[in-house]
This record gives sequence, C-alpha cells and structure tokens, in this order.
Amino acid sequence: MKCKNSPLIILLIIMLTCAFLTTSGCSSKDENGTGDAVSGMEVTSGSDNASQPEGGSENNTLVLGEMWDIESIDPINGDGTLICEKAAITETLVGANEDFSLKPELATSWEQLDENTWEFKLRNNVTFHDGSKMTAKEVKFTLEKVISENSKVASMLKIDSIEVVDDYTLKIKTKEINPILPGVLHYPDTAIISPSSYNEKGELVKPVGTGPYKFESFDEQTRVLTVVKNENWWGGKVGLDKLILKGIPDPNTRAMAIENGEVDFTVDVPYSETDRIDTIDGINVEKYKTPRVYKLDLNLKHEPLEDVRVRQAMSYAINRSDIAENVLYNVGEAAAGPFLPTMVWANKSLKPYSQNLEKANELLTAAGWVDTDGDGIRDKDGKPLKLNLMTYAARPGLPPMAEAMAAQLREAGIGIETEVMEMGSIDDRREKGNWDLYLAAYNIAMVPDPEYILTNWYTTNGTDNTPGYSNPKVDSLITEARKITDPNERYKKFNEVEAIVYDEQPMIIVAYYGCAIVKKDYVKGYVFDPTAHDYRINAGMYLENKS
Amino acid sequence: MKYFIKRVGFMALTIFAVCALTFFLMNVIPGGTAKLVLKHTFVGLEESVTEEQLNQISDKYDLDDPLYLQFFRWIKEAVLRGDIGTSYVFKKPVLYLLALRLPATIQLAVMSMLIAILAGVSLGIYSAIRENKISDHILRIVTLFGVSMPGFWVALLLILIFSLRLKLVPVTGYGSLENLLLPAAALSLHSVAAVMRVTRTSMLETLGQEYIRFAKAKGLPLWKIVSRHALKNAMLPVITVIGFQMGGLLGGTVVIEKIFAWPGIGSLLVDSISARDLPVVQGCVLAIVMMFLFVHFLVDMLYTHLDPRIRYG
Repeated sequence: MKCKNSPLIILLIIMLTCAFLTTSGCSSKDENGTGDAVSGMEVTSGSDNASQPEGGSENNTLVLGEMWDIESIDPINGDGTLICEKAAITETLVGANEDFSLKPELATSWEQLDENTWEFKLRNNVTFHDGSKMTAKEVKFTLEKVISENSKVASMLKIDSIEVVDDYTLKIKTKEINPILPGVLHYPDTAIISPSSYNEKGELVKPVGTGPYKFESFDEQTRVLTVVKNENWWGGKVGLDKLILKGIPDPNTRAMAIENGEVDFTVDVPYSETDRIDTIDGINVEKYKTPRVYKLDLNLKHEPLEDVRVRQAMSYAINRSDIAENVLYNVGEAAAGPFLPTMVWANKSLKPYSQNLEKANELLTAAGWVDTDGDGIRDKDGKPLKLNLMTYAARPGLPPMAEAMAAQLREAGIGIETEVMEMGSIDDRREKGNWDLYLAAYNIAMVPDPEYILTNWYTTNGTDNTPGYSNPKVDSLITEARKITDPNERYKKFNEVEAIVYDEQPMIIVAYYGCAIVKKDYVKGYVFDPTAHDYRINAGMYLENKS
Repeated sequence: MKYFIKRVGFMALTIFAVCALTFFLMNVIPGGTAKLVLKHTFVGLEESVTEEQLNQISDKYDLDDPLYLQFFRWIKEAVLRGDIGTSYVFKKPVLYLLALRLPATIQLAVMSMLIAILAGVSLGIYSAIRENKISDHILRIVTLFGVSMPGFWVALLLILIFSLRLKLVPVTGYGSLENLLLPAAALSLHSVAAVMRVTRTSMLETLGQEYIRFAKAKGLPLWKIVSRHALKNAMLPVITVIGFQMGGLLGGTVVIEKIFAWPGIGSLLVDSISARDLPVVQGCVLAIVMMFLFVHFLVDMLYTHLDPRIRYG
C-alpha cells in the first residue's frame, strides 16, 4: 500500500482546509463589502464583538434581549422605526400619557387654526445627537421624508403642505379635515430625525434622533445594536451609560439567557414560564397590557354567522377569563370591546361577555340550530354547525388560544376545525372568502385615537373590516364624529359605536394582548409605557449595584 | 480533464434548474409578493395594505411584469454582472447579505460535520469490533435516540445542561469557539447517529472478508488490522452518507440558528420566504446548492482515492 495515511486523516485535512478557506475568505470579503455599502456607519465585525466584555463587567451597561431579529435601524423606512423607539433613540412631536391622551413631547403645544390648518409650537431646547439644534426646518424635513417614503403614514397624515413660520413654529395644512393629525404624530415612523441621518444620495448613515440614547454602532452580522447615553438630552438625566440590544427570536432562549445572566432585561419569555421565572432569585417578571387585542373575525357572508344570535351565542360560549388565565398565563386579560378600559375614550360601561352556556343554548335554539342526531354538533336542515378557524403562529398566544376556543365552542355544540397557516395563505383565503373564523392579534392604538380603528374595522368600506360588517348607523356615527373637534363629544359618538358592535359581535374580541417584562432585580426605575408599540426603554432606568 | 469539464457543465445546469424552480415556485405559493413584502417592512403583519402601497412596491420592483421576463432579467444580471439582486426587506445587495451570513452557517455546518465524522466513525468502529457485546447494544440504543430526537428539543436540553447547570458555555452569541460548540453539537446529533450506523455495518462486512482473516492468521494486532486493512475499504459507504448528511445539516441549521440566535443564512432564508423577499431566497438557495454540489464533488474525488478501481471519464 503506497499511501500510509488513513483516509480519515485526509478527509479531516480536506474538511479543515475548506472550513478555513471558506470562512476566512468570506469574512475578508465581508469587511470589504461593509466598507462599500455602509460608508460612515460603524460596523464591528463578529469576532471583535465577541472579544468585548459580555456586558456583565461594565457596571452601567444594560444588555437587552429583544424579541425580534434587529433587521434594520432605518428610522423612517420600515422595520427600523420600532427598534429606534424601543432603544429611545428617537422621539416624536407628540407624546401620550398612560391613558393614551396626548401630551407635549418635542412639540410644546398645537392648535387647530381652521378646519385644515394646524399650528405646532416646538420645544426650543432640543439638540440632535449630532449637536445641531432641532428647529422647524428639520421637522419639516422629517415629515416630508416620511410622506414620500411611507405611504401608510402619508395616508393617515393627509398633509397637503408644511410651512416653516419661524424657528419654533410650524404650520401644517391638511388635504381634508383630519382631527387625528396630532395622534398620528405620536407614531414612531414620524419621529423627528436630523437630516444628517442620510447622505446626499438619500442613503441611511445612522439614525440621528433627539432621544435620551444615541446610536453608537450596529453590527450588521450579529445584528447587535449599541446605544450610549445622550449627555445633552433636553429631558434631563439619563440613567444608563450604555445599552446593548441583541435580537433573540426564540422565547425559550430569551428565558435561558436571562437566567444565565447574559441579558439583564428581556421581554416575552414563554407565557407558561413567566411564573416560574418570577420565583427565581434576582429576576422579576412584570405583566402589562399593550395596545393590541386578540380578536376573532367572523365571516358574515357565511350562512350561520350572518345570524346575530349565532354570533352572540359564540361569544357567550367562550370563557375569556379562563383563556386569559390558562392560555395566556395572565399576560393579557379578558376583553370587552376593542379598546383597553384604561384608554381615555373607551366605553367603560362594557363588560367582557362571561361564559354562559345556557344563554348560548337559548340563542342557538332560537336560531334553529339544534342537535337532532345526537353527535354533539348542532344542525339545521340536515347541515351540521361546523366552522373552520384559521390563525398564524407568529404570535405565540394564537395557536393555543385557537385550540382552547375550539374546545369551548364545541361544548356549546359548534364544531370547530382549527388551522395554523402562513400569512400568505391566510391573505389568500380571506380574499377568496372561503373561511369562517380568523383569529388574529390587532394593534388598537398605532395612533392614540379611536377614530382610526373604528373606521377601519367597522365601517362598510373599512380596510380591516374582514367580516364584511355593514351597519348604516355605525357608518353615520363615525362620519359625524369625524367633524367634531371637541374630544368629549367625539368620544360620545365612538362609545355609541362600541356599544352597537358589542351587541352585534361581528368580531369577537377575546382578550387584551400582554407583554411580560423580565428583568434582573438590579434594574431599577423602569416604567412601562403602554402607548409604546411593544415596549420602550425610559431615560429614568438605571442599574443599582450590578455585580 | 474531459470528465471535469463535463462535471462542471452538469453543475451549472443543476444550478440553473434549481434557480428556475425556486423562482417559479416562490411565485406560485399563495399570497401576493408585494403584499407580504409590505407587511414585513412597513405596516406590520396583521395590518391591511392599501392599493396605493401595493402599486408603489410593484412598480419599484417590477413585480407586475410577466414571470418569465422577471426571471430572464434576474439571470441576465446574475450572469453578466454577477449581481443577484437587492433585498426588498433589507434594501441591501443580496451578495452583501450572503457575505455577512454565510460564514456563520459554514462554520456551524463544518463544525458539526467534524463532530459527526469524529464521533460517528470512531464509535462505529468501536461498535463493530464489539459486535453484540453489551457496549455495542448500548451504543446502538443511544444512536437510535439520536436519530429520533427533534433537533430543537435537544438544543434546548443542551443549553439547560451546559449553560444553565454547568455554566460552561454561554446561551447565545457568535464569534468564538465556545459559542459554536452547543449549536454544532445539537445540529450534528442526527449525523453522528447516521454516520455511526453506516460505519458499523460497513466495518462488520469488511471484517468478515477473507483478507482480514488472513491478516488475523498472520498475527497482526487488532488495531493494525482495523486501521491498515479494514478502514479504507469500509470507508466508501461512509463517505457517501457524510456527503448526504451535509445537505441535511444545511436544512437543519434553520431551526438551530433560530434557537441560538446564530446569524446564519438558515434563519435568513426562512424569514425571507415568509416575507417573499425573492432575491434573498434566490441567493440563499443558490448558496446552499453550490455548497451541496461542492461537497458532492469532493466525495466523488475521495472515491477514486479510496478505491483506485473507480475511474471517471
């Protein structure tokens, strides 16, 4: 035998060389690529990052386990807006209180001069992270950039023109009367940024905002975002020196990362784990409600569901508190209407439907659905009461909730077949109309104003009116409310709408969406902002004696 | 040489076929491209999109053109300029994204392949030598578990034991060897079991051959018989399995990368499919196919080395 080397060793050598070649080859290429594509942005490579201290050794640095992969840091164009909100890099003109009423933020006051004209007064002591002053000119730049790049926000703002009156006064003309304009200016996509965030070609350099934390670096490979304290924040003292945000998409991994001390703060560990993790020494779990609801859309074009009695019966058959407790583990709460009871405009007289199988039975029997063949499923004219329920898995509460509701509805004699599908297939079926029930988690205060949700969900041509609901009374109430500028008078009309859809149940609102904040005991001063779109770091947060 | 040219031509054909297939399949699955791109970049998963937005996106990426035209344009750019498109979601060139993400996946795949080969082959040989002894049975039962355990579950278990209990390695992170160990181990589980089983069978077969009996009669010690005479002959089927496992590994990285927040192309591919980020899907599939073909090419070359009777041409 000529070759004395064992083939195993040859194989090993080949594998090792190609491993070496490919990895080293690619990483050197990526450095070049980095230089070309993101000029000016500081990008640390993966290996550099690993040699950095793991957060724990620096005393006033907080490591945060974020729930989604951080894909973009663009403060205007798409995904990046939310992470800029979470990391408190950017701020909006208009803020919101805990009850979702508006409050001054970068704008000190605003006034509707006539139907289509608004005047905004700006705070005069705000500087951007690049050191320049924030004036009406930069605000105009930001809003015009958003309008040209994000048609969703543009369609909500309905802005015709923006006029700079003086350094700290701005006049905005809308195309039509738009009472929700200040509310839309609370949306993170409209956060005010410095023009230096973009280069001459309009490409993102880095997000330059006004918030308590400023952008330091974004590692495009590991997608770790680092922000540091903004010493010159207009709002006062900032608690942390540094904040490192890592995307950890798997909830189990987030739980283990905080248990292992790799992150100091994270959100939405598996709901079933929240109580166990809370009992661990040194970690606490806080549960909050966020402006989002779990709701079941009913296809009103299908025969059994067009009968209001069937819909009410279904609502009575569902045990909401049971679901909140055993499916959501109290990360969420039983819901009455589309709005959180803490919201200033919510109809507070509505109470969640409580499970009442007798009432459900009465209503279904009155509607002609009785179990004649004894198989446990009601039928009418020989057709069984069987419905399909579709949902998706991107939000962990949905699939188990669908199963629990199916079981509860079955007790009332309604057969449910659940299907967990991909978003594309769901859209496809919604367009074709071959669905009965659709369980989803909808945001209810992207804009802190009830008009937007009620219009989209319940008016005849509403964009999110999946059930195909149409009630002339609701349509006219909303149209009337839109012309009223006095908030209390407006809210009265909206409360009426809420009461009507509460009775008619075109959508069954099941539960309020929750957020579990998991943090180490040494993380102090955290205040949950219910109006933020998942959560938001506040300037007052600091670390106490982190070892 | 002639064989080599033929082989490369065949690879090019395979790559073209795979690209064409991916492209048309991606356009056949339900849900409009423009709509899902919007949902993943602008409006949020549940929110509705307006007609105006749909047109804006469709115009921007020419999504309303006939499919063959879109595909032809993509091929033209790819072949002539080496440009395989720009991501709809990340708004960056796909090649740039691949250069960022591919090293992580290759590291993971190569590391788990190494674990699979080292552990699989040595355990397989051991098991074959100890045929039907108690240690052989234990090993075979253990590997049975290895094949049947789902990867994500094993991954969580490994984190629980090695990170939380023993505090040996961190839960997540990227860049150093200790970060690599857990994901690679979790990923290699199936391959270790598969390689071990094939090694054992093939080794047993070889050990039953006459020339081994002759070597034994000659008085050679067992380790010499195994390493000098049996191993090389038993390796052929093992190499085949390793080649195939490589393909499986690339598929398995999807789940493992999600769990360990590993910045590879597995999670990029899956996210891009649900976001209908066609250029990125094309790019990832292209990269995976090329890696797969490369490994198989290596395997074929190894065949001729191991068994000189095998000739290509």
